Amino acid sequence: MTKQHAIKVPYPPGDFAIWIIIYVELLTFGLLFVGYAFSRRADVELFNASQLLLNQTSGFVNTLILITSSYFIVKAVQSIKTMSKDTEIQTNDTASKWLLYAMLLGLVFLTIKILEFSHIFGAGITLSTNTFFMFYLLLTLFHFMHVVLGLIILWNIYQKTKTAGYSSDDYSGIETGASYWHLVDLLWIVLFPLVYIIK
Amino acid sequence: MQKNVIKNTAEIVWFTLVLLSIFAFSLGYVNCINPIVVSILLISTFIKGQVVIDYFMGLKYVQLRYRFIPTAWLFTIILLISVAYYLPT
Repeated sequence: MTKQHAIKVPYPPGDFAIWIIIYVELLTFGLLFVGYAFSRRADVELFNASQLLLNQTSGFVNTLILITSSYFIVKAVQSIKTMSKDTEIQTNDTASKWLLYAMLLGLVFLTIKILEFSHIFGAGITLSTNTFFMFYLLLTLFHFMHVVLGLIILWNIYQKTKTAGYSSDDYSGIETGASYWHLVDLLWIVLFPLVYIIK
Repeated sequence: MQKNVIKNTAEIVWFTLVLLSIFAFSLGYVNCINPIVVSILLISTFIKGQVVIDYFMGLKYVQLRYRFIPTAWLFTIILLISVAYYLPT
Protein backbone atom coordinates (compact mmCIF):
# COMPACT_ATOMS: atom_id res chain seq x y z
CA MET A 1 0.00 0.00 0.00
CA THR A 2 2.75 2.43 0.97
CA LYS A 3 4.92 1.49 -2.00
CA GLN A 4 2.08 2.12 -4.38
CA HIS A 5 1.79 5.60 -2.95
CA ALA A 6 5.44 6.41 -3.52
CA ILE A 7 4.31 7.67 -6.94
CA LYS A 8 2.62 10.99 -6.31
CA VAL A 9 -0.13 12.30 -8.55
CA PRO A 10 0.91 15.51 -10.35
CA TYR A 11 -2.02 17.74 -9.38
CA PRO A 12 -4.25 18.14 -6.32
CA PRO A 13 -7.84 16.80 -6.49
CA GLY A 14 -10.43 18.79 -8.44
CA ASP A 15 -10.00 21.79 -10.71
CA PHE A 16 -6.71 23.57 -10.26
CA ALA A 17 -8.53 26.92 -9.99
CA ILE A 18 -10.08 25.91 -6.67
CA TRP A 19 -6.57 25.43 -5.24
CA ILE A 20 -5.64 28.99 -6.17
CA ILE A 21 -8.77 30.11 -4.32
CA ILE A 22 -7.92 27.83 -1.37
CA TYR A 23 -4.37 29.21 -1.07
CA VAL A 24 -5.69 32.80 -1.21
CA GLU A 25 -8.30 32.01 1.45
CA LEU A 26 -5.62 30.47 3.67
CA LEU A 27 -3.55 33.62 3.37
CA THR A 28 -6.51 35.88 4.15
CA PHE A 29 -7.64 33.92 7.20
CA GLY A 30 -4.01 33.47 8.26
CA LEU A 31 -3.58 37.24 8.47
CA LEU A 32 -6.73 37.51 10.58
CA PHE A 33 -5.60 34.68 12.90
CA VAL A 34 -2.20 36.27 13.43
CA GLY A 35 -3.81 39.70 13.79
CA TYR A 36 -6.07 38.29 16.50
CA ALA A 37 -3.16 36.62 18.32
CA PHE A 38 -0.99 39.75 18.41
CA SER A 39 -3.92 42.06 19.27
CA ARG A 40 -4.73 39.74 22.14
CA ARG A 41 -1.18 40.13 23.36
CA ALA A 42 -1.69 43.89 23.60
CA ASP A 43 -4.71 43.52 25.90
CA VAL A 44 -4.92 40.03 27.37
CA GLU A 45 -7.36 40.96 30.13
CA LEU A 46 -9.88 42.47 27.71
CA PHE A 47 -9.69 39.43 25.44
CA ASN A 48 -10.09 36.96 28.32
CA ALA A 49 -13.04 38.88 29.78
CA SER A 50 -14.76 39.19 26.38
CA GLN A 51 -14.15 35.52 25.61
CA LEU A 52 -16.28 34.59 28.64
CA LEU A 53 -19.33 35.86 26.74
CA LEU A 54 -18.84 33.20 24.06
CA ASN A 55 -20.46 29.81 24.25
CA GLN A 56 -17.64 27.26 24.12
CA THR A 57 -20.10 24.38 23.89
CA SER A 58 -21.67 25.67 20.68
CA GLY A 59 -18.19 26.19 19.24
CA PHE A 60 -17.30 22.61 20.15
CA VAL A 61 -20.54 21.20 18.71
CA ASN A 62 -19.89 23.14 15.52
CA THR A 63 -16.39 21.64 15.36
CA LEU A 64 -17.83 18.13 15.54
CA ILE A 65 -20.45 19.05 12.94
CA LEU A 66 -17.90 20.33 10.42
CA ILE A 67 -15.54 17.38 10.97
CA THR A 68 -18.38 14.91 10.47
CA SER A 69 -19.69 16.83 7.48
CA SER A 70 -16.21 16.69 5.92
CA TYR A 71 -16.13 12.94 6.57
CA PHE A 72 -19.47 12.53 4.74
CA ILE A 73 -18.01 14.45 1.79
CA VAL A 74 -15.02 12.08 1.77
CA LYS A 75 -17.47 9.16 1.63
CA ALA A 76 -19.34 10.78 -1.28
CA VAL A 77 -16.11 11.32 -3.25
CA GLN A 78 -14.89 7.80 -2.45
CA SER A 79 -18.07 6.22 -3.72
CA ILE A 80 -17.87 8.12 -7.02
CA LYS A 81 -14.16 7.38 -7.54
CA THR A 82 -14.49 3.67 -6.85
CA MET A 83 -17.65 2.96 -8.85
CA SER A 84 -17.75 0.70 -11.88
CA LYS A 85 -19.45 1.48 -15.20
CA ASP A 86 -22.44 -0.74 -14.49
CA THR A 87 -23.20 0.81 -11.09
CA GLU A 88 -23.09 4.49 -12.04
CA ILE A 89 -26.72 5.23 -11.21
CA GLN A 90 -26.67 3.48 -7.82
CA THR A 91 -23.32 4.98 -6.90
CA ASN A 92 -24.40 8.50 -7.82
CA ASP A 93 -27.44 7.88 -5.65
CA THR A 94 -25.24 6.77 -2.74
CA ALA A 95 -23.02 9.82 -3.20
CA SER A 96 -26.07 12.08 -3.24
CA LYS A 97 -27.11 10.67 0.14
CA TRP A 98 -23.69 11.39 1.67
CA LEU A 99 -23.82 14.89 0.17
CA LEU A 100 -27.29 15.44 1.60
CA TYR A 101 -26.12 14.41 5.09
CA ALA A 102 -23.14 16.74 4.76
CA MET A 103 -25.36 19.63 3.68
CA LEU A 104 -27.79 19.01 6.53
CA LEU A 105 -24.91 19.22 8.98
CA GLY A 106 -23.79 22.41 7.26
CA LEU A 107 -27.25 23.85 7.85
CA VAL A 108 -27.11 22.82 11.52
CA PHE A 109 -23.75 24.61 11.75
CA LEU A 110 -25.29 27.78 10.30
CA THR A 111 -28.29 27.54 12.64
CA ILE A 112 -26.05 27.29 15.69
CA LYS A 113 -23.97 30.23 14.46
CA ILE A 114 -27.11 32.31 13.84
CA LEU A 115 -28.25 31.59 17.40
CA GLU A 116 -24.82 32.57 18.66
CA PHE A 117 -24.83 35.78 16.62
CA SER A 118 -28.34 36.66 17.80
CA HIS A 119 -27.15 36.22 21.40
CA ILE A 120 -24.10 38.41 20.74
CA PHE A 121 -25.99 41.12 18.84
CA GLY A 122 -28.85 40.91 21.36
CA ALA A 123 -26.36 41.83 24.07
CA GLY A 124 -25.63 45.02 22.14
CA ILE A 125 -22.24 43.84 20.93
CA THR A 126 -21.07 45.10 17.55
CA LEU A 127 -17.84 45.24 15.55
CA SER A 128 -16.88 48.43 17.36
CA THR A 129 -17.53 47.15 20.90
CA ASN A 130 -13.89 46.23 21.42
CA THR A 131 -10.93 44.64 19.60
CA PHE A 132 -11.84 41.10 20.66
CA PHE A 133 -15.35 41.32 19.26
CA MET A 134 -14.12 43.06 16.14
CA PHE A 135 -11.91 40.04 15.42
CA TYR A 136 -14.48 37.53 16.64
CA LEU A 137 -17.20 38.93 14.38
CA LEU A 138 -14.86 39.41 11.42
CA LEU A 139 -13.53 35.87 11.64
CA THR A 140 -16.78 34.08 12.36
CA LEU A 141 -18.95 36.11 9.94
CA PHE A 142 -16.34 35.66 7.20
CA HIS A 143 -16.20 31.94 7.94
CA PHE A 144 -20.03 31.83 8.03
CA MET A 145 -20.12 33.24 4.49
CA HIS A 146 -17.67 30.54 3.39
CA VAL A 147 -19.96 27.86 4.82
CA VAL A 148 -22.89 29.39 2.90
CA LEU A 149 -20.85 29.37 -0.32
CA GLY A 150 -19.72 25.82 0.41
CA LEU A 151 -23.34 24.74 0.79
CA ILE A 152 -24.26 26.35 -2.54
CA ILE A 153 -21.41 24.45 -4.21
CA LEU A 154 -22.44 21.18 -2.52
CA TRP A 155 -26.05 21.73 -3.58
CA ASN A 156 -24.96 21.99 -7.21
CA ILE A 157 -22.89 18.81 -6.90
CA TYR A 158 -25.86 17.12 -5.22
CA GLN A 159 -28.10 18.08 -8.15
CA LYS A 160 -25.60 16.54 -10.56
CA THR A 161 -25.44 13.28 -8.59
CA LYS A 162 -29.25 13.13 -8.72
CA THR A 163 -28.98 12.94 -12.52
CA ALA A 164 -26.11 10.42 -12.31
CA GLY A 165 -23.83 13.10 -13.71
CA TYR A 166 -20.57 11.70 -12.35
CA SER A 167 -18.69 8.68 -13.59
CA SER A 168 -15.47 6.92 -12.63
CA ASP A 169 -13.80 8.90 -15.43
CA ASP A 170 -15.39 12.26 -14.69
CA TYR A 171 -15.45 13.25 -11.03
CA SER A 172 -13.41 16.44 -11.02
CA GLY A 173 -16.48 18.51 -10.10
CA ILE A 174 -17.21 16.64 -6.89
CA GLU A 175 -13.52 16.74 -5.91
CA THR A 176 -13.47 20.50 -6.47
CA GLY A 177 -16.46 21.06 -4.19
CA ALA A 178 -15.05 18.64 -1.62
CA SER A 179 -11.71 20.48 -1.52
CA TYR A 180 -13.51 23.75 -0.80
CA TRP A 181 -15.60 22.16 1.95
CA HIS A 182 -12.47 20.72 3.59
CA LEU A 183 -10.96 24.21 3.53
CA VAL A 184 -13.96 25.47 5.50
CA ASP A 185 -13.33 22.64 7.99
CA LEU A 186 -9.58 23.37 8.20
CA LEU A 187 -10.19 27.06 8.92
CA TRP A 188 -12.62 26.24 11.73
CA ILE A 189 -10.13 23.77 13.23
CA VAL A 190 -7.71 26.68 13.79
CA LEU A 191 -10.41 29.24 14.64
CA PHE A 192 -12.09 27.22 17.40
CA PRO A 193 -9.16 26.84 19.85
CA LEU A 194 -7.79 30.30 19.01
CA VAL A 195 -10.97 32.27 19.66
CA TYR A 196 -12.97 30.04 22.01
CA ILE A 197 -10.42 28.21 24.16
CA ILE A 198 -6.98 29.80 24.47
CA LYS A 199 -6.89 32.23 27.38
CA MET B 1 -4.57 2.58 -4.90
CA GLN B 2 -5.21 6.08 -3.67
CA LYS B 3 -8.90 5.27 -3.35
CA ASN B 4 -8.23 2.24 -1.15
CA VAL B 5 -5.95 4.08 1.24
CA ILE B 6 -8.42 6.92 1.67
CA LYS B 7 -11.25 4.44 2.10
CA ASN B 8 -9.38 2.58 4.83
CA THR B 9 -8.30 5.66 6.70
CA ALA B 10 -11.36 7.95 6.49
CA GLU B 11 -12.99 6.50 9.61
CA ILE B 12 -9.73 6.55 11.58
CA VAL B 13 -9.12 10.14 10.53
CA TRP B 14 -12.64 11.18 11.54
CA PHE B 15 -12.29 9.43 14.90
CA THR B 16 -8.88 11.07 15.53
CA LEU B 17 -10.29 14.50 14.74
CA VAL B 18 -13.25 13.94 17.06
CA LEU B 19 -11.00 12.73 19.90
CA LEU B 20 -8.64 15.71 19.57
CA SER B 21 -11.62 18.09 19.47
CA ILE B 22 -13.09 16.55 22.62
CA PHE B 23 -9.66 16.89 24.25
CA ALA B 24 -9.42 20.59 23.30
CA PHE B 25 -12.94 21.33 24.47
CA SER B 26 -12.39 19.49 27.77
CA LEU B 27 -9.35 21.64 28.52
CA GLY B 28 -11.38 24.78 27.94
CA TYR B 29 -14.41 23.44 29.79
CA VAL B 30 -12.52 22.65 33.01
CA ASN B 31 -10.74 25.97 32.56
CA CYS B 32 -7.29 24.45 32.94
CA ILE B 33 -5.62 26.72 30.40
CA ASN B 34 -2.02 27.57 31.25
CA PRO B 35 1.08 28.04 29.07
CA ILE B 36 1.92 24.31 28.99
CA VAL B 37 -1.65 23.36 28.15
CA VAL B 38 -1.71 25.99 25.39
CA SER B 39 1.37 24.32 23.86
CA ILE B 40 -0.39 20.96 23.90
CA LEU B 41 -3.52 22.59 22.47
CA LEU B 42 -1.58 24.20 19.63
CA ILE B 43 0.25 20.96 18.81
CA SER B 44 -3.07 19.10 18.74
CA THR B 45 -4.48 21.84 16.45
CA PHE B 46 -1.50 21.37 14.11
CA ILE B 47 -2.07 17.60 14.06
CA LYS B 48 -5.78 18.07 13.31
CA GLY B 49 -5.07 20.54 10.53
CA GLN B 50 -2.39 18.34 9.00
CA VAL B 51 -4.69 15.31 9.10
CA VAL B 52 -7.36 17.29 7.22
CA ILE B 53 -4.78 18.49 4.67
CA ASP B 54 -3.33 15.00 4.14
CA TYR B 55 -6.37 12.74 4.20
CA PHE B 56 -9.56 14.80 3.71
CA MET B 57 -8.07 17.16 1.13
CA GLY B 58 -6.06 14.23 -0.23
CA LEU B 59 -2.78 16.14 -0.53
CA LYS B 60 -0.71 13.32 0.96
CA TYR B 61 -0.77 11.61 -2.43
CA VAL B 62 -0.02 14.71 -4.48
CA GLN B 63 3.32 16.20 -5.49
CA LEU B 64 5.03 17.78 -2.51
CA ARG B 65 4.71 21.42 -3.59
CA TYR B 66 0.92 21.34 -3.38
CA ARG B 67 1.00 19.75 0.06
CA PHE B 68 3.78 22.05 1.22
CA ILE B 69 1.76 25.26 0.84
CA PRO B 70 -1.07 24.44 3.31
CA THR B 71 1.35 22.63 5.64
CA ALA B 72 3.69 25.63 5.70
CA TRP B 73 0.67 27.88 6.23
CA LEU B 74 -0.52 25.81 9.17
CA PHE B 75 2.94 25.60 10.71
CA THR B 76 3.52 29.36 10.34
CA ILE B 77 0.12 30.26 11.78
CA ILE B 78 0.56 27.98 14.80
CA LEU B 79 4.12 29.25 15.29
CA LEU B 80 3.04 32.92 15.16
CA ILE B 81 0.14 32.27 17.54
CA SER B 82 2.67 30.65 19.91
CA VAL B 83 5.02 33.62 19.59
CA ALA B 84 2.17 36.03 20.32
CA TYR B 85 1.16 33.95 23.34
CA TYR B 86 4.57 33.33 24.87
CA LEU B 87 6.51 36.47 24.01
CA PRO B 88 6.89 38.58 27.14
CA THR B 89 4.93 41.84 27.03
